[in-house]
Amino acid sequence: MNRLTKLLHTAVLVLTMSAPALAAGGGRVPMPQLPEAKGDQCVEDTNVMRRKHMDYLMAHRDNTMHDGVRTTKYSLKQCLECHAAEQNDAAAGKHEGQHFCASCHQYAGVKIDCFGCHATKPEKTTSFHPIVTPGMEKAAAVHQPAGELLNQLAGASEQTGGAE
Amino acid sequence: MKKVRFTQIEGGQGFWALLAILGAVIVAGLGAVYYMEHNGHWVTGMNNQIVWGMPHVFAIFLIVAASGALNVASIGSVFGKTMYKPLAPLSGLLAITLLAGGLAVLVLDLGRPDRLIVAMTTYNFKSIFAWNVILYTGFMVIVAAYLWTMLDRSMKKFSGKVGFVAFLWRLILTTGTGSIFGFLVSRQAFDEAIMAPMFVVMSFSFGLAAFLLVLMVTYRMTERPLGDAVLFRLKNLLGVFVGGVLYFVLAYHLMNLYATEHHGVEAFILRDGGIFTALFWVVQIGLGSLLPLALLYHPATSKSRSMIATAAALVILGGFAQVYVIVIGGQAYPMTIFPGFEATSSFADGAVNSYSPTLAEVLLGFAGIAITLAATAVALKLLRFLPESLGDEQVVAKAEDSAAVKAAA
Amino acid sequence: MSEQMHPDFSRREFLSQSAKLAAGVSLASGVMLYGVAEAKPSAEAVTSKVRWGMLIDTNKCSSGCDACVKGCNEWNGLKDHGRPQTDAQWIRKVDLRNKGTGSVHSLPMMCQHCEKPPCADVCPTGASFKRADGIVLVDKHICIGCRYCIMACPYKARSFIHEDVTDQRPHAPRGKGTVEACTMCVTRVDEGQRPACVEACNTDGHKAIIFGDLNDPNSEIAQTVKTYATTAIRADLGLNPGVRYRGI
Repeated sequence: MNRLTKLLHTAVLVLTMSAPALAAGGGRVPMPQLPEAKGDQCVEDTNVMRRKHMDYLMAHRDNTMHDGVRTTKYSLKQCLECHAAEQNDAAAGKHEGQHFCASCHQYAGVKIDCFGCHATKPEKTTSFHPIVTPGMEKAAAVHQPAGELLNQLAGASEQTGGAE
Repeated sequence: MKKVRFTQIEGGQGFWALLAILGAVIVAGLGAVYYMEHNGHWVTGMNNQIVWGMPHVFAIFLIVAASGALNVASIGSVFGKTMYKPLAPLSGLLAITLLAGGLAVLVLDLGRPDRLIVAMTTYNFKSIFAWNVILYTGFMVIVAAYLWTMLDRSMKKFSGKVGFVAFLWRLILTTGTGSIFGFLVSRQAFDEAIMAPMFVVMSFSFGLAAFLLVLMVTYRMTERPLGDAVLFRLKNLLGVFVGGVLYFVLAYHLMNLYATEHHGVEAFILRDGGIFTALFWVVQIGLGSLLPLALLYHPATSKSRSMIATAAALVILGGFAQVYVIVIGGQAYPMTIFPGFEATSSFADGAVNSYSPTLAEVLLGFAGIAITLAATAVALKLLRFLPESLGDEQVVAKAEDSAAVKAAA
Repeated sequence: MSEQMHPDFSRREFLSQSAKLAAGVSLASGVMLYGVAEAKPSAEAVTSKVRWGMLIDTNKCSSGCDACVKGCNEWNGLKDHGRPQTDAQWIRKVDLRNKGTGSVHSLPMMCQHCEKPPCADVCPTGASFKRADGIVLVDKHICIGCRYCIMACPYKARSFIHEDVTDQRPHAPRGKGTVEACTMCVTRVDEGQRPACVEACNTDGHKAIIFGDLNDPNSEIAQTVKTYATTAIRADLGLNPGVRYRGI
């Protein structure tokens, strides 16, 4: 094999091996633009969450569904308190770049099932606040009733003394 | 001894034309599935009162017929009737393809067909549905093994044992299918133990009718001889099975009619149910049971091939009507949640529910039939399922030979 | 921000005042009132020590009133698509007329949260299940939408979701192609609140529905069902529902 052929072979090899890196940086498929999350930090480190968020969600989902465990640390509802983007008003996946989960999942080509059923943005209630660290929870130390309806009913039922 | 030769069917224009037509039906059905899946089931005629509709009627018919189609092979290997042995491979093939068609319709109508993997890996073993998933897939495996013992000379010695397992399995399977309804305490039309054996006998009848029709059409299209000996044996057996179904239907209704509790649902099906009453008396009993019995046994028509084929087709038509009356009629009659009271509500309490199938549902059903027929046709082309000849000299000689062997022994 | 650090004191005060008032009123009427069980700690799993149930007094239920239905629909985000055949109904008012005697009654009908639920028996994947504390739920993560549970339910309590769902309430996820029914407002119950229908009925002043722990001999519901005659609908099926009725 003469030197030119060797050179060509090497070039092809190098280009093939570096194609993914080139593509990523080179803009063939743009990196996802993740919306800024509220709050100072997530419930776990970023690199841990990247690898294991699906496991946490899956395990917590079954705990909540079957055992009624409603801790907030790995709760999907709680994730949205920080990660829900402002302009999101449709089912996840339709507004790339605007939905935290969808942006990355669309880039990675991994379909998620969650938001066919789960709400994509939090409701304004007294119970879930965007920045509630464990320390604050302990300090507050009070059970906060959930739900707009109760808030309304509690306000409306002053006369009848309904809420017990 | 005249040995039966099995050969593949040749292709040719008729074959490809048939596949093209069936393919078009399948594509139409898949389009219907996309439409129903994408928009949600509100575009169908099914609603919160009638949750199982036309697709389920087709699916249940095909599944019931599937286990019955295996009967012919079972009669050959389990009951030792040698005349049926050449028919066994086609019988096994049809059992698999009918089941495949029925299951395809059932799965494609699910609210979440993308969760089929969940259905096949997560089981609640108290549910007869869960058992049916195992029974149906197991049936396919066992019948495939059975076919292997029939087609591969070196495996022929296992054919009897595997055939016996297949026979037992299909009885359990059809009992399971009938139990889907028999286990429901909620609705008056269903909560009957007789549902399970009735479905077994229905499978005998529908399966044999389907087999007979496919046999006649295939032999006509491939211009192979089909003798009277085989044909008349099969048509007499079909008559027996049709009579059997009639007996079970009679028993079911007579027993219900005795109990005052069930008078409401009986009056609905037998007299006041509009479309259901018409389907029951005219199509299920008249066209689907009595007329075929007449055609199959009356001396004027019992020897005529076209009449035999007509009778088989009528049995199938009657079978569809029967499943429709059972599945949809059972849901149409109001649930007796408050016995002794007249009930009204925003959720159709106390009201007879009506159902009008939409085109999408019917297309899906027909696609199931098309899947069955297309798969059968392709298999017949690829493998040697069909005896080259089922003429009288071939078949009668075989029967005589085996009788001679028995006499000598 | 600061209001979250310091929970709403005015609301707490109001609640405690009205609780005192309600206690006084109910003591005066001669029925011992014990509060709904306190919220369990969120990290604790539910157990069968508790059995949640409801008691509906149909004598207090009027035919024209559907406060419970409205309360449920609002809390769970059920929308009216104008298609009554396929729109989901978790709770409905049923008007009854006795064929023999002619007497009329009205009652709300919802999932009866049976002790032996036929829907859980027939579900092929186990999506329909009974929680340890008696609440029957659909795990929509594994529901395949086969609708067998709807066929099996003797109370016609379940609905199939026939269309895409958007704008769900975060505490009530629901999506196309799965089956759903009354959850006894399980998220509220887990936090020590009463279901929305009970709340709405009480707000409206009818107080036809009592909610509580059937296993707690001191709860209002347990004492009432022990003292007065109550029935389960379709009791002959032997399902022992958690929802019982008075007056029919």
